[in-house]
Amino acid sequence: MQHVALLAFDKERCKPFFDRLTELFYKHHHSEQQKPEEYEKLLYMVRRPYDNNMLDMIDEWMGSGPREWREETTREVKLALYAIRYPDTLLLDSFTEKPRSDIKRLSSYLHFTHHTYAIWDEDTRKGLEKLGIIIPSTESADPFIYGAYVSAIELLKDVAPFTCFLEHDVPRQRLFQSALAAYGREE
Amino acid sequence: MSDTEIVEGYTPNFEAWIKDFNEWQTRIGFDPSWLGDYRFDIKFDWDTAGSQIEFGDFKGMPKWERRMQIPQQNIRDAIISMVSVQGDTEFASVEQQNHLLATAPTEYDKKSAMRIMCEEQRHGWQMAYLLCTYFGEQGVREAAKLLERNAQDGTRILGSFNAPIDHWLDFFCFTHFIDRDGKYQLKMLSTSSFKPLAASMGPMLKEESFHLGTGANGLRRIVKQGVIPCELLQKYLNKWISTGLDLFGTDDSTSAQWAYVYGVKGRYDERESDVEADRGHLNEASRDLYFQELREEMRRISSARKEGEPELFIPSDKFNRGIGNYAGKNYTIRGEKFEGTDQEYQDYLVSVLPTEEDEDKLMNEYMKQDWIQYREWKGN
Repeated sequence: MQHVALLAFDKERCKPFFDRLTELFYKHHHSEQQKPEEYEKLLYMVRRPYDNNMLDMIDEWMGSGPREWREETTREVKLALYAIRYPDTLLLDSFTEKPRSDIKRLSSYLHFTHHTYAIWDEDTRKGLEKLGIIIPSTESADPFIYGAYVSAIELLKDVAPFTCFLEHDVPRQRLFQSALAAYGREE
Repeated sequence: MSDTEIVEGYTPNFEAWIKDFNEWQTRIGFDPSWLGDYRFDIKFDWDTAGSQIEFGDFKGMPKWERRMQIPQQNIRDAIISMVSVQGDTEFASVEQQNHLLATAPTEYDKKSAMRIMCEEQRHGWQMAYLLCTYFGEQGVREAAKLLERNAQDGTRILGSFNAPIDHWLDFFCFTHFIDRDGKYQLKMLSTSSFKPLAASMGPMLKEESFHLGTGANGLRRIVKQGVIPCELLQKYLNKWISTGLDLFGTDDSTSAQWAYVYGVKGRYDERESDVEADRGHLNEASRDLYFQELREEMRRISSARKEGEPELFIPSDKFNRGIGNYAGKNYTIRGEKFEGTDQEYQDYLVSVLPTEEDEDKLMNEYMKQDWIQYREWKGN
């Protein structure tokens, strides 16, 4: 899946997106719903050793609602957050059904503990689709689908012109993911 | 859209220069093992470089891709000079900063500084590559000089790059103010009539944004932490900003005008601007944009300060200038003409610039505490 998405990549189609990336980023990341100041706090507050409180803070910012996981499931996920190495996503396959059923939540944990992983978001997926990068819609954490999503954003970072790179206190994955989300929402 | 070419094979001239570079690293105490798997690739973005000369007297003609296409020797000299100055600053900053790694406040800062130093060296490689590959013996001689001058000996071309960077507050000021000037210079060269120079700028500018971000975020983290009083921080801003403004060169500059006439170096907003360039005041125009940008950035940094702390601000562009129409003239940080004798002005400077006593307090009192907001290194 990853190969199909990236081989079919049309750079010319990205030009209008790159031309507006800064504006799109501000539109999404600095919107009231995205609570940018809370996001910035999380960038600093989520750090080793990870505890349940940190995951709760991420859930609150994401609006994900409380985790209904057993303690050992939470422990398993926290251990994975230490073990995983970007851009690997195969580790997601080893999780039990409960955490695997929620890609948004898991990707947000990955994002705030590693910064290089992008938050899964349906609008962002649609944004990629508008650029010709087809990633299937899903709610569960499929390592191949999420892997393709992460790689696609990485690829965009690679090919984007220098004008896209803001001197902003957000990781570049967030910069591109936010801009894609705003782009995906547009008619 | 950028499609970066990474050069695979080098000329013998450049291969020989690389040997000198390895010796330079040893000489300045930069351990090559710090680079990890980082490679000094030579990168070109040919698409963003454009194919036709964009401004000046050669406008509309094809961009020059080789030395022999450049119509006059004085244009070749101007290009060599600009590439040399740019390369000089890249190596100088590593000489100024590498001693700081031992005192990094956090692992995140250490890794960020390391990345900056790797990328600055790559930028220096890129400039040396242009000199060695495109400008024959003259270029080879200039490339060798990039490694002979030294910031610690005060022999680098530009003043700011000979100034000591004694601690991490200076480092964040340097990356915020001086690297920002670097961004301006790179962007002005990104539209150059010499295509290999223009094509070098895209990848360099991409990397430079991280350097500036490190400076801006570093200052914001310091302000947020609130251990170093804003009054003291303001003195360091006063010190570095005038230096950054000086880097844009003299007012009414004829060399900037000639560089524009040749199409070698444009305005910062050359592609975006819809007005004719004022060729007699090119440095002033870029400096004004830089100054406005500093003001906006400082509002963001200052907004993080603790309650009761005074607002941080960008001092007047007339204050403490070494170059330009205000050079050597007595102005206050608010831009008013100083009424008093030269001796009184020296006393005034002591009150608004860091003194030895301030340095001592900074390093031995404030920096002994948790003086900067902690940030975890998240890399693998």
